[in-house]
Amino acid sequence: MAALDLIEAPSEMSADYLKELKHTLVVSGDTELISAPAYYLAAQRAPSINAFMTGIAIIQDELAHAHIAYHILEELGEDQEKLIFSRDPKSFRYPYAFDVPLESWTELIVANAFYDQAGFCLLGDIHEHCSYGPWKRGLNKVMLEENFHLRNGRNWMKKMSQAGGETKAELQRAVDWMFPLTVEWFGLPDELKMHSKQLDYKLKGKTNDQLRQWWLSLVVPYCEEHGVKVPAHQEGEQYVLDYPFPCTFDAEARRWDFKDPCTWDDVLARWRARGPRNAEMVAMFQEEFHTFRKAHAHN
Amino acid sequence: MTHAYNRVQGAAREYGVFARKLRAEPLRQVGTVVAPDDDLAAAYARATYDEERWIEMAIVARDQLVTLWAPGEETSEA
Repeated sequence: MAALDLIEAPSEMSADYLKELKHTLVVSGDTELISAPAYYLAAQRAPSINAFMTGIAIIQDELAHAHIAYHILEELGEDQEKLIFSRDPKSFRYPYAFDVPLESWTELIVANAFYDQAGFCLLGDIHEHCSYGPWKRGLNKVMLEENFHLRNGRNWMKKMSQAGGETKAELQRAVDWMFPLTVEWFGLPDELKMHSKQLDYKLKGKTNDQLRQWWLSLVVPYCEEHGVKVPAHQEGEQYVLDYPFPCTFDAEARRWDFKDPCTWDDVLARWRARGPRNAEMVAMFQEEFHTFRKAHAHN
Repeated sequence: MTHAYNRVQGAAREYGVFARKLRAEPLRQVGTVVAPDDDLAAAYARATYDEERWIEMAIVARDQLVTLWAPGEETSEA
């Protein structure tokens, strides 16, 4: 594998590269796909038709992004319909954050500002460093659109913060549980994750902690500028969390206990068990497929 | 290499989607769609690749492309 050349076809890959590439694409496709039902359930609470249409436009983008990842998987020999419609909900590989219900427009726009910012960092890194040509090119579109989602989140956060009173309090309540959930999004800290094949194969360029720091450097100053409190601060070049990381999370109550540190094994067990909305969201796109298939059994 | 695609509606083909923003720039591939016919492929392309205000968009069935050589294939050694 030449250091500077892009890989363009399976014939140029080792079996192990192909396996890592597929794994990374599944995580990306699943994350984009699951954001659609997660955002849709919250977009229904939009405060105006314009806001609703923006929410729907974002969902349409996310589905197109999922299509890009799944189509590349299909070109690499996977069955797209099986991947989307026939997998067990628990086997989907998206960040745990999406399993915690977004129940209001406020939570949706914080998701745009936090989750889409995380997506922007992760995919921006892949876009810049990815050694697989078809994915690198496919991400041109994705990056443009994630930027739009992010802007929607930031503009609404600014507007709600400026409104003050109960509006700002509601925004702060959403930030309180969604900020630590997004910090967790980037995975195990570097000191625990000894080795990354994704880095070796140049499927990405930054480590988990570098990506987390990048996200913090974009989110923390923005929140501070607009009077939204977040449990992190800058020390020199680094951002430091003001709570034990990781710590316990009550998914039903959507509440962090900063007085109860836990281990990464505990976090991994919570992620593996999936969260409250996993099965419901996967059913939203799987059920109709199987209904259609039964009704058209001759196909 | 052309793959066979199956969708819930039946057999489908892959189409390359080409577009450009400016008269001064060349048409380039912006993505792909998989659809059972040209009309649906056009609809999918329009809905999926709407990230820019393109001045031109065209789709072509992948199996209609005559590839002379491509990276990763035997003929690429020439």
